[in-house]
Amino acid sequence: MFDQIAAVTLINLRSIPQRALLSGATVFSIALVVMVLLGFLAMSSGFSKTMQGTGSADVAVMLRTGSQTELNSGLSVDQLRLIEEAPGIARDANDIPIVSGELFVIVDGIKRASQTEANLPLRGVGPAAQSLRQGFTIVEGRTYEAGTNELIVGEGIIREFAGFDLGQTIRLGSNEWVVVGIFSTGGTVFDSEIWTDLTVIQNLYQRGTSVQSIRARLTSPEAIEEVRAYAENDPRLNLDIQSEVDYFASQAGGTAMLITYLGVPLSIAMAIGALAGAWNTMYSSVDTRMREIATLRAIGFSGFAAAFGTMVESLALAGLGGLIGAAGVYLLFNGVSASTLGSSFTQVVFSFAVTPMSVVLGLGLALIVGFLGGIIPAIRAATVPLLAVHRS
Amino acid sequence: MNDFTLIRKNLFRKKMRAILLIFSIMIAFLIFGALGAFYSVWTSGSSSAADNRLVTVNRINFTVSMPFAYWGRVEGVEGVTNVSHASWFGGYYQEPANFVQTFAVDPESWLAVYSELTMPDEQRAAFFNTRDCLLVGADLATQYGWSVGDRIPLLSNIWQKQDGTSSWDFEVCAVFDAEDDTLPTNYAMFHYEYYNEALAFNRDNIGWMVLTTIDAAQNDRIMREIDSLFANSPAETETSTEAAFNEAFAAQFGNIALILLFVVGAAFMTILMIVGTTMVMAINERTKEIGVMKTLGFPAPRIFRMVLIESILLSLVGGLLGLGLATLAVAGSAAAMAAFLPGLSMPPLVLSIGLALAIGLGFITGIIPAINAQRVTIVTALGKL
Repeated sequence: MFDQIAAVTLINLRSIPQRALLSGATVFSIALVVMVLLGFLAMSSGFSKTMQGTGSADVAVMLRTGSQTELNSGLSVDQLRLIEEAPGIARDANDIPIVSGELFVIVDGIKRASQTEANLPLRGVGPAAQSLRQGFTIVEGRTYEAGTNELIVGEGIIREFAGFDLGQTIRLGSNEWVVVGIFSTGGTVFDSEIWTDLTVIQNLYQRGTSVQSIRARLTSPEAIEEVRAYAENDPRLNLDIQSEVDYFASQAGGTAMLITYLGVPLSIAMAIGALAGAWNTMYSSVDTRMREIATLRAIGFSGFAAAFGTMVESLALAGLGGLIGAAGVYLLFNGVSASTLGSSFTQVVFSFAVTPMSVVLGLGLALIVGFLGGIIPAIRAATVPLLAVHRS
Repeated sequence: MNDFTLIRKNLFRKKMRAILLIFSIMIAFLIFGALGAFYSVWTSGSSSAADNRLVTVNRINFTVSMPFAYWGRVEGVEGVTNVSHASWFGGYYQEPANFVQTFAVDPESWLAVYSELTMPDEQRAAFFNTRDCLLVGADLATQYGWSVGDRIPLLSNIWQKQDGTSSWDFEVCAVFDAEDDTLPTNYAMFHYEYYNEALAFNRDNIGWMVLTTIDAAQNDRIMREIDSLFANSPAETETSTEAAFNEAFAAQFGNIALILLFVVGAAFMTILMIVGTTMVMAINERTKEIGVMKTLGFPAPRIFRMVLIESILLSLVGGLLGLGLATLAVAGSAAAMAAFLPGLSMPPLVLSIGLALAIGLGFITGIIPAINAQRVTIVTALGKL
């Protein structure tokens, strides 16, 4: 039995070159389907990876109640002072609370890809800001000096936007700034930001002493409850307090889901189209070998063996297409940098990420196409009438 | 029996094969049609923009506000016919998830600049004269079931009133529609005064200005003059045409056109490969028959024509089915997508391009088999047993 199956399968696979054109078309069309699916998934997972990789569990983000994102929020310097005294907030070696009041202004940058203006966050931060971001490093240059018109730029901005190179003077509105450093936070959302001293932003953009958000290092992730209780007991503090991880997770949802919702139906529709190709190829595979299959059946090969051979041929073509598609997407798109409008209404730079999970999904889709395309031709092969031997 | 009957019989000689091919062509055109409709709505911001309408925003970024006094100064620029201003309210209804696009505007000048917005005269008058009037777009009114006379509170996720709350009470006193169905009506407007007087911070600022010019040819001069009015002030401005502004905004989301082009390109490459190879094979199978036809006296050009028409017919049947299905799908999802993509409909241009593509596809996939068929000599055809 196994000998039969192996023999028929080999015959099937060896006969593929006889239908090179048709088989090639099937492989190629399945490869394209897989490329479309993986392309969208790489975009979606690249974006979520950036958003979800941002934020630590032991940093609390505080915004004005109901404001949802930093952009809409506004807090006073009094609230900032009150939070510095809150329980559950960590202090550094000099007993200074690790708290950063932050304020950002959206400024225009020129997107390299389209040469159009796009929103970038110019964030004014307190001295503790850098230690509040895990993995913060200055990659080139140095950090800004407080109280001056110096700024540091995230790596993502350098990749996607023109005019922010080290040492360059840039004009944002009526103010001139000098780029003195490039920083990295290891591919998080902060890499798509421009940073400078909080008080400079407050002065230049007439924000008084107000901030938009407060970030604070917690003594432990659980200490967030202490801070919440403290804020609830003080009527001056109408704050929404979230851990930074939760904050960014809640901001990731929409865009990533939109990409997935667009990409999945598209690739399924294309897969159905490619199904016709696979079916057609396998049909003609059985068709052209009608006499051969009947001969095999006449000398005692089982119908199952004939069907199995056809099915393996179909799955092999589909699997090959899937592999080519996955490899193509990996070579073309993996790591490609792109940026889109995030929920803070500013650009988030991310890299396409072809994940192992999505490759498995892509190969799965290819094999489903191969299976469905092969099943009816395989049944047909199993039921070839023995009299077909005599067909000329 | 005329040529067409012969072509039809040939096309459906292997029913299963023909149906499968038509089906895969249909899918490709369904994708083309649906994405084409999506793309034309996506870019409608720049195509519906009037060519004599300009937008003035803060040079830092359009989300940064500018002083109210700028409004009066722009009015004085020569060649400007109407100027209005708007401020982003960041509104929501009851729950933060019920986001409502809302702007605080100067009512009379706004409707002068956007003359394509229509409403009954008495509602227009009510909007002008009622301080707390909310002018609601038809799509938005349908979405929340609002009608004229309703009193609704809208909350802002940005602004606060001096009393510490973020809720403004409105009376829906007018509902607007647009002359052209493809223009969005999924937003609402109210009096700037009513909003500004209650603000706890950022008072006497406006978000941006829109203006119409006397003649699009003077746009460049007017843009320069407006921006030079505010040069070297804390709030410098940047004036551009409405189309350029909308295009730049759409581009912020990424290169949507390129992504759609990739997808549609992949879909068409797929059917090109599948249909092309199948047609070559189908005609090869028929070599003997073509030999017989030639023996019977069918001239080569006639055979060439018949094969080509067969493949164009195949493409057209699949293509028309796909475009029809796309039209149905777009019509079916228009209501569900109204909040996100208002005015979703199948543009005639997409259908015409689709039709041209179907004919082109039939031609490309049919030309090689047709040439092969034309070249078949009787001796080789009948010798091939």
